[in-house]
Amino acid sequence: MLEYNDKIRAAAKRLLKEGVVDMVIGFKKGTMPMMNEPCLIKRPEDADTLVWDANCGINLANYIVGRKEKIGIVAKGCDSRNIVTHITENKIERDQLYIIGIPCRGMIDKTAVTNLCEGEITSVVCESDTVKVAGNDFEKKIPVSDVMQANCSVCIHRNPVIYDELAGEEVVEQTDVDRYADVEKIDSMSTEEKWNYFEDMFSACIRCYACKNACPLCYCPTCFVDEAKPQWVGKSQDKIDIRTFHFLRAYHCAGRCTDCGACERACPVGIKMKTLTKKMEKDCFDMYGWEAGLSLDQRPPLDTFKPDDPEAFIK
Amino acid sequence: MSDWEPKIVSFLCNWCSYGAADLAGVGRMQYPANIRVVRIPCTGRMSPKFALAALREGADGVWVSG
Amino acid sequence: MVTFKLNGKTVQGEEGQYILQVAEKYGVDIPTLCHHKALEPAGMCRLCTVELFDGRRSRFVTSCNYPIWEGMEINTDTEEVIKGRKLIVEMLLARCPDVTLLQDLAKEYGIDSPRFKTEDNDCILCGLCTRMCEKIGNNAISLTGRGVEMKVDTPFQAQTDFCMACGACASVCPTGHITLEKIKAEITTQKPQLIKSEYDMGLCGRKPIYVPYAQAVPNTPAIDRDVCIHFKTDGCKVCTEFCGVNAIDHSMKDEIIEVNVGSIILAPGFEPFDPSGLDNYSYADHPNVITAMEYERILSASGPTEGHLVRASDHKEPEKIAWFQCVGSRDMNKCDNSYCSSVCCMYAIKEAVISKEHADYDLDCAVFYMDMRTHGKDFERFYNSAKDEHGVRFLRSRVHTVNPIKDSDDLEVRYVAEDGEIITEVFDMIVLSVGLQTSPETIQLADKLGIELTEGNFTKTSTFEPVATSKEGIFVCGAFQGPRDIPQAVVDSSAAAAAAGMMLKEARNTATTEKEVVPEINVTGERPRIGVFVCRCGINIAGVVDVPAVRDYVSTLPFVEYVDDNLYSCSQDTQEAMAGIIKKEKLNRVIVAACTPKTHEPLFQDTLLDAGLNKYLFEMANIRNHDSWVHKDDPDAATNKAKDLVRMAVAKAALIQPLEEAELQVNQTALVIGGGISGMIAAKNLAGQGYETHLVEREAELGGQAKNIYKTSSGEDVQKNLSGLIDETVKNDKIKVHLDANLKDVEGFVGNFKTTLASDGSDETIEHGIAVMATGAAGLKPDEYSYGKDARILTSLELDRKFIEKDASLKDVGSAVFIQCVGSRDTDRPYCSRVCCTHSIDNALELKKLNPDMNVYILYRDIRTYGEKEYLYKKAREAGVIFIRYSLDNKPVVTIEDGRMMITAQDHVLGMPVKIEADLITLASAIVPYKDEKLAQFFKVPLNEDGLFVEKHAKLGPSEFSTDGVFLCGLAHYPKPIDEAIAQGQAAASRAITLLARETIHTSGTVAKTNPADCSACGVCVSVCPYSAPSFIDADARMFPGKAQINSVLCKGCGLCVASCRSGAIALQGFDNEQIFSQISALCEAV
Repeated sequence: MLEYNDKIRAAAKRLLKEGVVDMVIGFKKGTMPMMNEPCLIKRPEDADTLVWDANCGINLANYIVGRKEKIGIVAKGCDSRNIVTHITENKIERDQLYIIGIPCRGMIDKTAVTNLCEGEITSVVCESDTVKVAGNDFEKKIPVSDVMQANCSVCIHRNPVIYDELAGEEVVEQTDVDRYADVEKIDSMSTEEKWNYFEDMFSACIRCYACKNACPLCYCPTCFVDEAKPQWVGKSQDKIDIRTFHFLRAYHCAGRCTDCGACERACPVGIKMKTLTKKMEKDCFDMYGWEAGLSLDQRPPLDTFKPDDPEAFIK
Repeated sequence: MSDWEPKIVSFLCNWCSYGAADLAGVGRMQYPANIRVVRIPCTGRMSPKFALAALREGADGVWVSG
Repeated sequence: MVTFKLNGKTVQGEEGQYILQVAEKYGVDIPTLCHHKALEPAGMCRLCTVELFDGRRSRFVTSCNYPIWEGMEINTDTEEVIKGRKLIVEMLLARCPDVTLLQDLAKEYGIDSPRFKTEDNDCILCGLCTRMCEKIGNNAISLTGRGVEMKVDTPFQAQTDFCMACGACASVCPTGHITLEKIKAEITTQKPQLIKSEYDMGLCGRKPIYVPYAQAVPNTPAIDRDVCIHFKTDGCKVCTEFCGVNAIDHSMKDEIIEVNVGSIILAPGFEPFDPSGLDNYSYADHPNVITAMEYERILSASGPTEGHLVRASDHKEPEKIAWFQCVGSRDMNKCDNSYCSSVCCMYAIKEAVISKEHADYDLDCAVFYMDMRTHGKDFERFYNSAKDEHGVRFLRSRVHTVNPIKDSDDLEVRYVAEDGEIITEVFDMIVLSVGLQTSPETIQLADKLGIELTEGNFTKTSTFEPVATSKEGIFVCGAFQGPRDIPQAVVDSSAAAAAAGMMLKEARNTATTEKEVVPEINVTGERPRIGVFVCRCGINIAGVVDVPAVRDYVSTLPFVEYVDDNLYSCSQDTQEAMAGIIKKEKLNRVIVAACTPKTHEPLFQDTLLDAGLNKYLFEMANIRNHDSWVHKDDPDAATNKAKDLVRMAVAKAALIQPLEEAELQVNQTALVIGGGISGMIAAKNLAGQGYETHLVEREAELGGQAKNIYKTSSGEDVQKNLSGLIDETVKNDKIKVHLDANLKDVEGFVGNFKTTLASDGSDETIEHGIAVMATGAAGLKPDEYSYGKDARILTSLELDRKFIEKDASLKDVGSAVFIQCVGSRDTDRPYCSRVCCTHSIDNALELKKLNPDMNVYILYRDIRTYGEKEYLYKKAREAGVIFIRYSLDNKPVVTIEDGRMMITAQDHVLGMPVKIEADLITLASAIVPYKDEKLAQFFKVPLNEDGLFVEKHAKLGPSEFSTDGVFLCGLAHYPKPIDEAIAQGQAAASRAITLLARETIHTSGTVAKTNPADCSACGVCVSVCPYSAPSFIDADARMFPGKAQINSVLCKGCGLCVASCRSGAIALQGFDNEQIFSQISALCEAV
């Protein structure tokens, strides 16, 4: 994926120089390994700070909400789907954007990498099939497939769905993946098993809201967690409050979530909250044949009212 | 556990189910007294927040009909 | 007033009352077996014995017939009294050891078994039956004999004529000594019969005093004078003793009311055909052969079986049910109804599908039919899904006879299958799809009014005035106009109203009075002062719920300043008292805990208005329909529930606010889009009722599809009538016709639309209050059957053109073939075009008229000459038109060889292919709507997948949209013949005038409102609202550009947007989050 760097930089330089855009949103290398940072550059000479590798999991669509400028944005498959959602939800205009599309091969899961190594990691270099990890007293090569983010390994929309130019050849989309194996596993649990599963999962939550802040779908002026009249959810660490928060957050993503994984990536305590949004995603697909962010002309199923809705789920 | 009775909160659409519950009364159909009805103008009004609020406030079951 | 002591407490009663009556009033329970509220006390059972202290000594008296007197002291539960009662119970039990009532009493008094010799009797000689018989005004039974010989008996111990078998004695007998069976066997000589419930089609009985059905309006009981005993003997009147408000007046007489009217609309309906006279279906003598109307009741949750699908003979769930179509329709052999009843195919399919859905086992449903007539909107789809998805069997066969199987409740049916094979099948139940006919009473009425009827006894009307009878000023709608389904009946009823309205234009608003308005008190900012009225509803609520306890509990709730209980909260005097209390106590929120807001909210809101309060400061707690009526056996739980419900209402009431109903002027101008027949008729009616109307036509002349039609199925000249109508339209000074015009833009909403028309290169803006979509449809140009390859292959409309032009070549045609369903009822267009069967048959007859020797063939799938159009089908067969049926998978094939047109089709009678040479082929091509998405977008009205507009309600709102102020008629709604298009044009005008005539519209207070500061402008509300109420604030607005706003005129208050809004930026006034949340919290609090 490193080969994308030249193209991204060249495009950014060109766009800024020609005044096509006022800024370019992309990634720069972070101060720590595997922690590339989103960055916003406004001068052509800064274009060389832009990088692209398998550590660009943060969803950049999050940074365009409500902006008035013309923006160049680097977008992988899921980012582009969230950009589509933003456009349909009036968060930005299509003609404000110049999208540099990235055919994506998947992002790596930094926790998985860390778990495979002992000692502090000082450098991680992503190559096409392997990840080269080095620490103070070790060096090892790990196959990418062993440490790929869970959502990336079942992603079927790796190529951007809208773009103005591509930073490389389109990649072949995965076809033989079992997208909802994790959801089905939970669906098949007994009520009690489910209860225990979720109780255990949410027990670590510290209500830091990192998941909701990382999520591009979350942009309301006042979040329901902050509403006081009525207070839907308490501010405490109470189990019920934690669950209410997670359930309602998931509901708000129904029909809109692209399974980009930003929420789980941001979680400091490793909660798999994507379990909930993915269930919603699956339901939308099963009931309405809907996948979020693929079309600029259609709104998500829960945003529409159709008198001829078969309402098959009621019968 | 044998004398435990669930507390059920029901959200009924004004135009159909609420009226149906009225008719159940007219027909003197007898049913257990565990249900408390909240009248809503349409099940479109039903928000997942209500269901969660009811459970949070101690309801054992939530019934939405419309 | 008489004052005395009852169990140590001072009580009061009226002079002449008995102890028992006063005790009852004070809630002191005294057991009795022989007392009845409506009967004179007799002191027979002695169980009500109490102790009386007269100042000097104590003695025992029977409380039921001992009058009260000043200063007496009564004790009802002293040790002595109880001892005495125990002895009475013991003796009664010895006499009647098997009577449950006495066994229960014995248990209560601690008696294991009587010490006396037991007998084998079940009469306790309470005398209730004999006293009741006397009260009834009869003396068919009395107590005979003395001492131990005493018993209830008839004169001379023989069955008697005097007994009318009214059953009153059995109804009061406490022990089961007298039963209905016993009355039949031992008492009466008459043959008692069930009073058949009309509503349940006689499948079960009803009482002489009855409410016809649960939803009846008015929902007031009526007395059936034909069966009420009072009207036979002058006695009884027991009911008056039980009515808490003295509402029963047996002396009421029928009144003759004379009213002066300018117009009459007849809507007397139909009667279902009675198949009792048909001997071949065993309807009269087999319980498992029923009519479709009876079957409807069996399927209904409010029916005699509470919706459980069981057959009458043995209450078994049927496994196989057959429907027989055309019973009493299309039949001149067994009855005189040769017309088609139009609705039976569809209702039979519906019943079969509902039955299949209803049964949780494999139920077999078979429909025996001649032609499947699903010619209504979306009916063909329903038919297809019944066949393909639900597995209903459709068998094209007319069954001749039903044979009841001996020693079984099943029925054997023999029929000829399509391939000619004779099949015998056994069914559990047979449903006769009975037709519609005009009742003899209605025929008499027509005779009295002097209006002409058709040969089928329906009203004679013309195509161009479809709801006008032969007598001026009298209009007709519904099934008396001809057999029809609900949507068509609703269209006609609106049309009749429009026709009458046009006549009565001058008289409008001449007989109305205005209500006085009490100025509203401003309560904003006041601390809530809640008044709660708990209703007893006679005994309806108070008989189960402990109303005083609820009342006392409510007084402890926050913000409650006043609480009281009423006997009947809805009565006129209580309403006045309530208004007074609201003012006196300065209440600013009112709660009535009573029945249901669905029926009574408007009444109480009026009371608030009379007291100067905003009507939205009202809340109801439903403690009757949702409580006392449904928890009769658990008064404690019901009382607790009532407390909960009132507490919820109080919590909500504290948060409710006065709401405003904005008033909007309705622009008195109409816009009709489409200058075809239905559009012109709508415009003519709107103009005729006094409204300026703009009529927009995209073409250069008016007339639409009617320009292509030769004559109507009843023979009227279409071109002559059409030019008359065009002339009238153009000359009408209230109608402005815009030809060659297209809609460029539409803004606004109900009452205030602004439409930009583009015509002749210039734009014109029209402001109007309502719009009618009459955009029509067109005939399909077929791409099959060699159409376009030979000038002798025409569409139906092209053949009409030849008739209009009096084309001489038609006479020389030797062989003419019509092919039906060209482009209809197939995968591309899965709907029936409704008009083509009648049209082709009519044209076939026209060809026969030109040349009787012409060979005319009609290749069809089902002949759908519904209603009285069936006569044409009969006439065509008699005239020698040959009908050949084909199926969708084996369509006819047209070939042209050496200039000869050959058609090959599979003959269904011969079962082999036939080859016809034709000189003329007419393709009955489909009617295809324009699918004008732009127009739909302009007026925010939906299109269905066929491209037809979607009306407000398929049955009840066929001529309007759910978008307020927009109406619908003509082919854009669904294919239809001219008379139906005209009726719908009138109907659309009628519906529009209900709005225009109001001049102003009030928005509801219960509408959604955005808080733009919280809005994220995501557009969910704009997208999700079915009524197009939300929109974005203009991008160049000073405040909150791009945020959502809600038009309160369009908002129906459903709350869909509120629930969908992730940002919590929308509030539904009257059902806001905080209010509902407060109810939830209040509900879950422990009492």
